[in-house]
This record gives sequence, structure tokens and C-alpha cells, in this order.
Amino acid sequence: MYGGGYIYDPENKNQAPIAEDPEKLAEFEAKIDNGEKIEPSDWMPYEYRRQLIRMIEQHAHSEIIGALPEGTWITRAPGFKRKMALIAKVQDEIGHGQLLYAAAETLGKPREQMLNDLLSGKSKYSNVFNYPAKTWADVAVIGFLIDAGAIINQLANSKGSYAPYGRALKRICAEESFHLKQGYEAFVYLATGTSTQRAMLQDAVNRWWPPIMHFFGPSDKISVHTEKLIRWQVKMDTNDNMRNDFLEQYVPKIWELDITLPDPNLRKNPETGRWEYTEPDWDEFFRVISGNGPCNKERLDVRRWVEESGRWVRQALFKPNEIYKVPLA
Amino acid sequence: MSSLDPRINRLDLVKTAQAENIQPHQHWETYEVFVQAKRGGHHTHAGSLHAADHDMALIFAKEQFARRGQCHNIWVVKTSNIFALNTEDADMFAENNEKKYRNTGGFKVSDKITQYKRSHKHTQPDETD
Amino acid sequence: MNTQALKEMLCKMGDDALIMGHRNAEWTGLAPTLEEDISFSSIAQDQIGHALAMYTLMHEHLGEPNPDIIGFSRPETDFTCCHLVELPNSGYDFSLIRHFLFDHAEILRYKALTNSAFTPLAQVAAKITGELKYHILHANTWVRHLGNATEEAKARLQTSLNTLLPYALGIFEPSIFEQALIADGIFIGENALQTQWMQTIAAILKQTALHLPDVTTIQPVYGGRRGYHTEYLQPLLTEMTEVFRIDEQAEW
Ligand SMILES: [Fe+2]
Ligand SMILES: [Fe+2]
Repeated sequence: MYGGGYIYDPENKNQAPIAEDPEKLAEFEAKIDNGEKIEPSDWMPYEYRRQLIRMIEQHAHSEIIGALPEGTWITRAPGFKRKMALIAKVQDEIGHGQLLYAAAETLGKPREQMLNDLLSGKSKYSNVFNYPAKTWADVAVIGFLIDAGAIINQLANSKGSYAPYGRALKRICAEESFHLKQGYEAFVYLATGTSTQRAMLQDAVNRWWPPIMHFFGPSDKISVHTEKLIRWQVKMDTNDNMRNDFLEQYVPKIWELDITLPDPNLRKNPETGRWEYTEPDWDEFFRVISGNGPCNKERLDVRRWVEESGRWVRQALFKPNEIYKVPLA
Repeated sequence: MSSLDPRINRLDLVKTAQAENIQPHQHWETYEVFVQAKRGGHHTHAGSLHAADHDMALIFAKEQFARRGQCHNIWVVKTSNIFALNTEDADMFAENNEKKYRNTGGFKVSDKITQYKRSHKHTQPDETD
Repeated sequence: MNTQALKEMLCKMGDDALIMGHRNAEWTGLAPTLEEDISFSSIAQDQIGHALAMYTLMHEHLGEPNPDIIGFSRPETDFTCCHLVELPNSGYDFSLIRHFLFDHAEILRYKALTNSAFTPLAQVAAKITGELKYHILHANTWVRHLGNATEEAKARLQTSLNTLLPYALGIFEPSIFEQALIADGIFIGENALQTQWMQTIAAILKQTALHLPDVTTIQPVYGGRRGYHTEYLQPLLTEMTEVFRIDEQAEW
């Protein structure tokens, strides 16, 4: 995972627009209109850089925090196949974090600073990981449906204008397909299994459905700001479109197994061809993002433990005289 | 506090509840990784990573950039040892029509040969004579 | 060929790898840096894979049930792993030193087994040896680096080494079938393996500021090979089988 569509950006409201050099800006926009990619050493508008750092950084945080709910089941995963696939999947998520932090670093923000901002709460990660993975069925639901959502979001973003992010996402998407496949297999085994297994799965689907509907973020308010991000190919699709794509591709796969979804209004409108649903509870979404979800504290406590308990290792091999260089990625 | 994750319950989270700020450069230097997929091929840039030195960079690179699919060899280079041209000057790579002499397309002799053959045939004495 | 002896040997190798793999997999997502997280997770996955390979040999050649049943449904007393692999993780120093001590024994064991008279094992061992080369490179690099670094790093590694060495010697607890295995050309025997291992780890540790305690004065921790275990194994087995036990007839 998993950026989702929502980028936490409290600074944006109070930001006075930066006056950019009109000639450079025109050149930059012409490049993007031409379908050319932007490399780290190219000139770019301040707002383009700032927005990309936020976006890639939050995506990276989501990967390393996203490793935790599924990590819950590593020691308990049933049998060799499920266990090895789960460890490899969680490993990939850490790998995605590694690739994305490197991509964000090319824009000038060091990894250490991004991790500090994660731990202090200044920067956020995808809200969906603030929910607990209570049973083995949760692993199947996450692997299948959250990774499916991630693929929709990441495939769109991989076509964006910033080259290092696009390169990282190409590799990430290939690995996400494996995540989806292994998650779907575990999901189907439960759905086609015993009544106990089906009940576990139905319960997990019911619990995860609201966070999944939140996953792509609230409907975009089309402001001058979002229009600019779309023009610059930072934002590649609207949150509602991505949510619709997700429903279109995956709801039939859930329903064909006679697993129900806890929304009586969920249906595809045959006239518009779009999916309709009960508006998700966005108050709950913002309540959880601001730190009051069931697992926010544990997730950050664990990352803090990682940084603190690993400090002596990093300190032991720390060379204070080396000069930090932004990676090329 | 008890976690749903038995692994987490075995950690002492209380002891680390307050994390100090991570100081700049604590996650070490950056290295660029070049992967050779097959013997006989080029090493191609695959990404970058953080490591304390080149030995560590190599063991990390193997798993982060070659844990799936084919790999025969890996190079790592400290990022600070890589020098690049300025991408803003990319127009110096533009195709230059005046430099046809560098490419195979710049050398066309078939017209000459055809012309030669045609004119030569007329002036040559008939061998059957 | 003495199949009882062979079965016992494959089982203890599988059990060692299974439990070690579980302990090491506990670090996935929690290791000191992202890059190391990925590397150590691969090592854990390899180890669980080695357990699967050993149980598969038992299943295919020695009439034992399928690997999932061997790995996830036997009682604790049927497990024959050494105590070294059972101990819960503490700091990263502990896990690195255990990885160093364990994987050096593993690579020497599997290398020796590439010449085993039991050819299906010899073939599997050749493949596993390739993977273990990376484990050794990883372990040696870390031990050499941290073992020559700060006072804190050296002290942590030394403490872990002192704690773990008696348990590591327990890897080589002789089997009652030792003579049969040697006579049949299946394996070189635990004694010969321990001698090779001592030489290898001493040579690496010599390149560090760490001190290898005199092993002749150390009482090895035995018992694992005969089904006696530390207090830590049963809780881990309970955890490993939790999902299976929800419905034992189900396919997961
Ligand atoms: Fe994923
Ligand atoms: Fe991911």
C-alpha cells in the first residue's frame, strides 16, 4: 500500500501562493503537456515539490505502518504456504516504504526528517491502518481488498509526471499484484470453506467495509489548487472515480461468493453506469485521522520502539564526517 | 495495554514511549544500486538505498533489488561518487542533421553503383563478338 | 539405509529451521533500518522454506504425513529442535549473534549433506547451500562491523555471545543414531560438524574485538533432540497453530 486518495495537508489553507518565474513555469508546464517526465534536477514550482513530498512521504509512511496490521498474523498464519506468502508480502510493504522514501528524498527531504514527522504526528499515513486485524480473515480481507484499492490508486499515480515516483510505482505495482493474488486466494478459501470460516470472513468484511470506503478519501472539492495538481499530473484521478473503479472491479467478486457488504444502498446504477452507495461517515474518518482511531497509538508506539531499539545499531556505524547526498533514484 | 499482535506484546513499548528525534544522517549514507540481470548484460540502475558502507550496501541491495527474478551480479556506488550532466542542458543531445557522417544512413552508394553499371555497359565492347 | 535414523535427522533439521524462521520472522516490520528489515525477513523466509524442504523429504520418502501436519500439529514432545532456536528475541544483538552461530552450523551441515548417500537430500542440500551463502555473508558482515564499532555495540554483542554459546553447542547434541548415519554415508556426524564450526566462527570472531569464551569449560545445553524443551517452545507452538485449531477439518 497505499496512499489512498487523501493527502493530509493542513498547511495548504493558510498558504499564500508563491510567485513563480513565469518563463520557467511555462517551460515546465509545456514539458508536462508534452508528456515528458520531470527529473529531480529539473526546475520545478515550489508547490509542485511541496505537494509531491507530502504525497510520496505519506505513501511511504502508509507502507511501513501498513506492515503492522498484517504483521499481527505472521507467527499465527496457518500452514507453510500462507505463512511464507504473508511474510513475503509484509516484507514487500517495507520494501515499498524503502523505495518511496528514496523517491521523496530526491525532492530534498531526508529520510530521518520524514520519520521524525511520522512519529511526531506532523505527517500522516493511510487511515485504514488505524484499524485492528482481529482474526485471520482480516489478513485475507486486507490482502485482497486493501491491496486492490492500493493498486487502483498506485496505477493511476504511476503515470504521473514526477519520474522517480513513477519508477518506484512501476515496481511496486508489480509486487502489489502478487499481494492481491495471495490475498484473494486466502479470501476464496475462507468463502468456500466451512461455516466457521465463512462466518469469520463475513465478520471481517463487515468491519473493514467502512474503512475501505474511506480509503480513497472524500469527494474532491474542485478548487484552483486541485486543478493545478491535475494539470501538473500530480493528482491523476478524482477520489470518486478511483472509488468507483474499485467497486466496479471488486464488488462482483465479493458478491459471487455470497459474501454480503454492509451497505443496503450499494448498487450499480444501470443508467449512469456508476456505483451508488451510502455516503461514508466522514466525521469518523477525520476523527480517526486526527489520532482517535482504535490503533493510532499502538502503530506509532511500535514505530517509536523500532527507532529507539535500533538506535544503537545505527549509532555504532554512524560516520559523522560523511556528507549526506540526496539519492539519484 | 495489550496488542492483538503477540510479537508486539513481547516488545517493551513502555521503555521506548518517548522517542528522541532522529538526528540527520542517522540512517547512514546513500548508495546507488546497479543490477546485472544476466551474465553478459549491462549493469542497470535499479534504485538507491541507505547503508553504513559498501559492504552493508551490497548485502542490502541483494534483497531489496534482486529478491525476485533474475540477477547475476550487483554493483553499489556511493551516491556522492556519481557525477551527472545537468538535465537542463539536455538539448545538447538533440539530433543534428549535419552529423549524418556518424551514422550508417550517412553513406549511400547504391545510386553511384547503378549509374556506373548503366554507363559502363554502353561503352564496354561486346564480349560475344 | 537406516530410515529411522534418517527420519530423526530430517526432523530435527526441519524443526530447527521452522522455529528459527519463526523467531527471525518476528523482526519483519520491526528491524533497525528498512534495508535490514528486508534482508532479515528473507533469511527468515528461507529458514521456513528449509523446514518445508525437510518435511517434504519425510513425506515423500519416509511415509510421514504432509508438511503442514508435521510442522503444525505435532505435540511439543515430538519436536526435536535445539533450545537455541526456541529462545525469544530480545535485542537485535541477540538475534544477530544467534543468526551468526546458527547459520554457520547450517551451511556446514548442508554442505556436508550435498555428499549424502540419501540422494534426494543431497540434491536439496545443494540448493539450500546457495541460500545459506547469503545468510553467512549477512551474518559475517554485521558481526565484523558491529564487533569493531562502538563500546556499546561491542558490549552488547559480547553479552549475547556469552549467553548464546552454551545453547549453540546444543545444536550438536549427538543422536542415538550417530554411528548408523555415519556408517551409511548419510551424514558426517555431529562431532565432525562441531569441529568445523568451531574453526569457522573462531576465525570470524578473531577479526573483531569480541572474545570467544573457552568452549571446553562450557556445559552445552542438551535435551532438545530428545524432546525436552525450554518454557518458550510450547507458547510459540500454541501461537503457530492457533488458526488451524479453530477448525481442524478446514482448508486454510
Ligand atoms: Fe501491498
Ligand atoms: Fe505496498
